[in-house]
Amino acid sequence: MKALLLSLLLLPLSALAQAPVIQISGANFRPLPLAVPAPLSVDEGGKKLANDFDEPFLFDLRASGLFQVLDRASFTADPKEGVTAGSINFSRWADVGAESIVKVQLGAEGGTLRGELRLFNVGTGREDFKASHAVPTSEPRQLAHFLADALYRHLTREPSPFLSRITFVRKAGSNRDIFVADWDGTNARALTSGGIHLLPALGPDGLVAYTSYRKGRPDLYAQRPGEEASALVQNGQMATGVAFSPDGKRIAYALSQGESTQLYVANADGSAPKRLTDTPFGINSSPSWSPDGKRIAFVSNRGGSPQIYVMNADGSNPRRLTFQGNYNQTPDWSPRGDLIAFTARDERNAFDLFSVEVETGKITRLTQDQGNNEEPVFSPNGRLILFTSTRDGTPRLYVMTKEGTNQLPLPMDKGGGLTPDWAP
Amino acid sequence: MALHPAVSQSMLVARPSRLGLFLGVSVGGHGLLLVFGLLYSHLTAGPRVDLNPPVIKATLVRQGKPRDPKLLPRKEQPPPPPKEVKAPPAPPAEAPKPVEKAAIPVPVAAPQPKPAPQKGEASGEDRRKRLFGAFDRTAKQAEPEELEGAEDGDPDGDSATAEGERYYALLSTQVRRNYDVAKSIPDAERLYLKAQVQMRLGRAGEVLETRLTSSSGNDLFDSAVLTAVKRASPFSPPPDHLRDALQKQGVVLEFRP
Repeated sequence: MKALLLSLLLLPLSALAQAPVIQISGANFRPLPLAVPAPLSVDEGGKKLANDFDEPFLFDLRASGLFQVLDRASFTADPKEGVTAGSINFSRWADVGAESIVKVQLGAEGGTLRGELRLFNVGTGREDFKASHAVPTSEPRQLAHFLADALYRHLTREPSPFLSRITFVRKAGSNRDIFVADWDGTNARALTSGGIHLLPALGPDGLVAYTSYRKGRPDLYAQRPGEEASALVQNGQMATGVAFSPDGKRIAYALSQGESTQLYVANADGSAPKRLTDTPFGINSSPSWSPDGKRIAFVSNRGGSPQIYVMNADGSNPRRLTFQGNYNQTPDWSPRGDLIAFTARDERNAFDLFSVEVETGKITRLTQDQGNNEEPVFSPNGRLILFTSTRDGTPRLYVMTKEGTNQLPLPMDKGGGLTPDWAP
Repeated sequence: MALHPAVSQSMLVARPSRLGLFLGVSVGGHGLLLVFGLLYSHLTAGPRVDLNPPVIKATLVRQGKPRDPKLLPRKEQPPPPPKEVKAPPAPPAEAPKPVEKAAIPVPVAAPQPKPAPQKGEASGEDRRKRLFGAFDRTAKQAEPEELEGAEDGDPDGDSATAEGERYYALLSTQVRRNYDVAKSIPDAERLYLKAQVQMRLGRAGEVLETRLTSSSGNDLFDSAVLTAVKRASPFSPPPDHLRDALQKQGVVLEFRP
């Protein structure tokens, strides 16, 4: 009866309806095919710096995982083609598979290098976005990172990792020194010189905390580039593995006493320490904060083997998160909150990277069959993971998407790097 | 006071009558019924039925020992066999295909094995396989069992027989296969992106016109859906009963990520 009534009522409506509507969903999200022709120079100065600009610019776009940067050798358009929509032959770009084009124009005047970036949509033939920036001529890389960031922000509405900083340890002889560098590992500057310094953590305001053996046993220090180090935790016990809370106001670290290692939380200057874990003989280490600062992921062997655990930041409610594998360590909580990346030794005795969903405990493998891969750390926007890999012999820093795709070595010098950390 | 019979029985004289009341009650009653009906159907209406049948992702698990659940997972290796396995049986299947594609449903049992063995692959092994294929399969279990379906079925399809308007399902499958969208589109935006493309099809399935009837507000998404339609075309010829409608009004494709 109801159906009859409805159909009688709807009959006149359906007669009016025009074309049937088919719903289509389940898009395949894939990197945007992007053509990035070599930058154009408006003067001699720009021409000289074009290469120095081009290399980091291309790396940023490639490593972001969001673009499929097309091979320049395949381009059929005139290399001297202009930078306005009217002067671009869009069909030539469509032929090589480009869906968007990024054109950059460089000019150097006095001590200033000026760059202008334009983004064109090949489908609509329109200019979608324009950005410009100027830097001293000594810093073409900064210009590249800045313009790449502007493009990234325009497309994703979120900050890119290109202007962020990383810190890592570099091995030289028997020394282990802390370095701070641009996100791509270049422009690296030593924070310490000589001695053994390990496990650096980068705070949101540029402060670096690390473990140092300068007094013979591990203590925690904090230091800003160009300044002296100050002691954070120095109380006669072995302190390691410091991590800043997301707001930078607190630190978490591990203290060893006899046969047990326990986690502590203190203010960022090391004051008012509070013990979080209490397992008589076990090891609790490698703290990593959740993005809201309310929870901490860590490694504990209380269940027999090292596994990833999660607890509230006051130490309550600890919960085991990983139940696969028998050697899981170095957790890093994604700034997006949903994932924790970690290192694990698999049944073939290879160290590889995995991620685990915090809510479900589902583990996904990120690296496989390429040397040992360790020490994952998320980019500040949570889209990329920086890690150490021995796939090319010596341990070096690599970056990949959080899904484990697009694994690229950082274009840094041969010194390599270990135990990286990453901050805005 | 009694009226004159001629007056009291005249048709010209107004007399008290119940007709007005009857009409009023009748109209009112119908109105009430209608209101009740609408209210009832409105209140008891269940969740709206999505006419697009849900897609079930099904993959055949290859034969082997199950992995110990206590071990860490391994990445799925890109499946190497399909190309090599499918290469030999391809040539005989090729011949009848074009015909089958045009005529739509009825799964035809391919009567192919008999026609003269092609010289390139006339090895005894091949011939034996073709003749005793059925026995081999039961005996060796070498290849995973095929799912029942249709020749031009969707790998993601969840039904062995077509349901609903088959031609529209075909259209949407073909478009979805080319539905590539830039990863750079922000997650938050993906939740509400929606674009509609109206397309008209000719008798042979060729696209006569595509028009973005409703933009998503995101240029990249809009051009991605137009590209998807363009890459998916031409479609197979529409069946008789849809031909005119598809040529005149066309069909609207509503895209969401």
